[in-house]
Amino acid sequence: MAVSEQPRGPKLASWLYGKLFHNYIWRSIFRSGYPSTPRNQMLVVATNVFLHLHPTRIHKTHVRITHTYCLGGITFFFFLGLTVTGVMLMFYYVPSPERAFSDVAALETNIRFGMLMRNLHRWMAHGMVISVFLHMMRVFYTGSYKAPREFNWLVGVILLTLTLALSFTGYLLPWDQLSIWAVTVGMNMAGSVPLMGEQSRFILLGGFEVGDAALIRFYTLHVIGLPLLAAIFMAVHFWRIRRDGGLARPL
Amino acid sequence: MAAGARTVSSTQGGARPRREREQELLVWPDLVFVEFIAAVVFTLAFIILSTILDAPLLNEANLDITPNPSKAAWYLASFQELLLHMHPALGGVIAPTFAIIILFMIPYIDRSNAGQGVWFGTPNAVKIALFSAAFASVFTVGLILYDAGRHVNVVTNVAQRVDKDWEWPGALAPFQNMRAIQTGWEWGVPVPKSAQLGPGEHDGVLNWPEDFSHVPMPFNGTSGPDWMRWDKPDSLPGWVQSLYWYDLNMNTPAFIVELFIPMAIMIGLPALLIFILRRLGWVETIRDGSIAIFTGMLVVYFILTIIASGFRGAGQDLVLPWDVPHID
Repeated sequence: MAVSEQPRGPKLASWLYGKLFHNYIWRSIFRSGYPSTPRNQMLVVATNVFLHLHPTRIHKTHVRITHTYCLGGITFFFFLGLTVTGVMLMFYYVPSPERAFSDVAALETNIRFGMLMRNLHRWMAHGMVISVFLHMMRVFYTGSYKAPREFNWLVGVILLTLTLALSFTGYLLPWDQLSIWAVTVGMNMAGSVPLMGEQSRFILLGGFEVGDAALIRFYTLHVIGLPLLAAIFMAVHFWRIRRDGGLARPL
Repeated sequence: MAAGARTVSSTQGGARPRREREQELLVWPDLVFVEFIAAVVFTLAFIILSTILDAPLLNEANLDITPNPSKAAWYLASFQELLLHMHPALGGVIAPTFAIIILFMIPYIDRSNAGQGVWFGTPNAVKIALFSAAFASVFTVGLILYDAGRHVNVVTNVAQRVDKDWEWPGALAPFQNMRAIQTGWEWGVPVPKSAQLGPGEHDGVLNWPEDFSHVPMPFNGTSGPDWMRWDKPDSLPGWVQSLYWYDLNMNTPAFIVELFIPMAIMIGLPALLIFILRRLGWVETIRDGSIAIFTGMLVVYFILTIIASGFRGAGQDLVLPWDVPHID
């Protein structure tokens, strides 16, 4: 079996191929040889935890760029990028009214690549909101919410609101005039909920105005609560794409 | 079992044909490669963008200094814009909640699975989307200009070229903007003294808006004959009390301006859109109708976002983008 997978060619190349992709360590990690044959190409997708979100084969219309414009995938890239840059920002950020603003300001002046990390996080956050909207438009205008994918559309709408909530909670963290007033405006909207407006506003803020309690609440939701929730719904979302028969295409 | 369920759900009445192998590609390399390229382009694009463009950081947060205007984040700015035109509970909570519920409901209302996986899958889909977008833009912009009283400025400017002393006629007072129904419009009708209903002085004239601004709700416990009056139920917990409209009086002019008209517009215009599209014969299926409603909602959201973030200056006045004050 192993012999038939080896590419035909000079002896040196075959020897190198065997040493690199058929040794004990490579096999222990990847189980299959280098994905240069159809068999190994299917095995690499089926046996790799990250790649197995995909089926091993897909219909050829699905790789056409105009079919999806990669929008769902780009949204997921945004989530990954935001996680990476977000973790790096957490190294330098203390969520207290005394330190928050100066910590963010220090990213610009004291920390190498701090401003790059903050810029990336900011622009990717805006980008994610935009790409979620575009993805929703793509799914709608291609009729991809139709049976049997109704429930996945529902999960998608939940992910849309979670994205907005993630962006909104992150908006407060720099603790500058833009953030505190944007959140005050947003929270005043929550305060106009019929019958229980004051209560819901109080619960979200942990007080009557945007202060230290609100900052720690928003921070906790932003860095762990909402991302965890979003990750769970994303897992369901991706799982259901495969369970519902891959991307929608004409019946 | 599963095959039977699929047969029932299919409009063609037959099971989905088995995929042809030659129509399929291997995920590795054909899809993974595309994803990899997309990831590289995406990462490079954002690193370049972030090197060029710095994220804003204003002065440290201070609740004692209110920036004018203070704005919500851009994706919520559309709802902040709604607050300027209607009751905060309607614009800030009820309308967004209904928007989300409508999004949830789309696949459960449009149950046919025909035309999926194709851009604009019905014969008239593009026409419907374009018409709905135009309809939504015209009415959204028009209503915002109306509520800002811009039609008064235009008409007055034109009319004053003919007659220098021309002013907006009193008969059209309620049509200066939405709020003018409540604040800019005054009339009274004589009422016979015998029509005395409640206590208090009866001046013989029923005046708008004064006499309509404190109309007791039925069974609010403080109006009407004696048997309809009772004490505030202080023994009950506060949240129970807040569920009952004890001593609630309706401000009718405010109700009309802040709740009734906005709700009528938000329900009536989509209904009008569907009506027009049906008369044109473009809407043939529920899918067509949902394209119209979805497009309309989306365009209204975008236009409100643009106006709220680009055209609202100090005091949330409607100004041109370069007149919006710079906040630091």
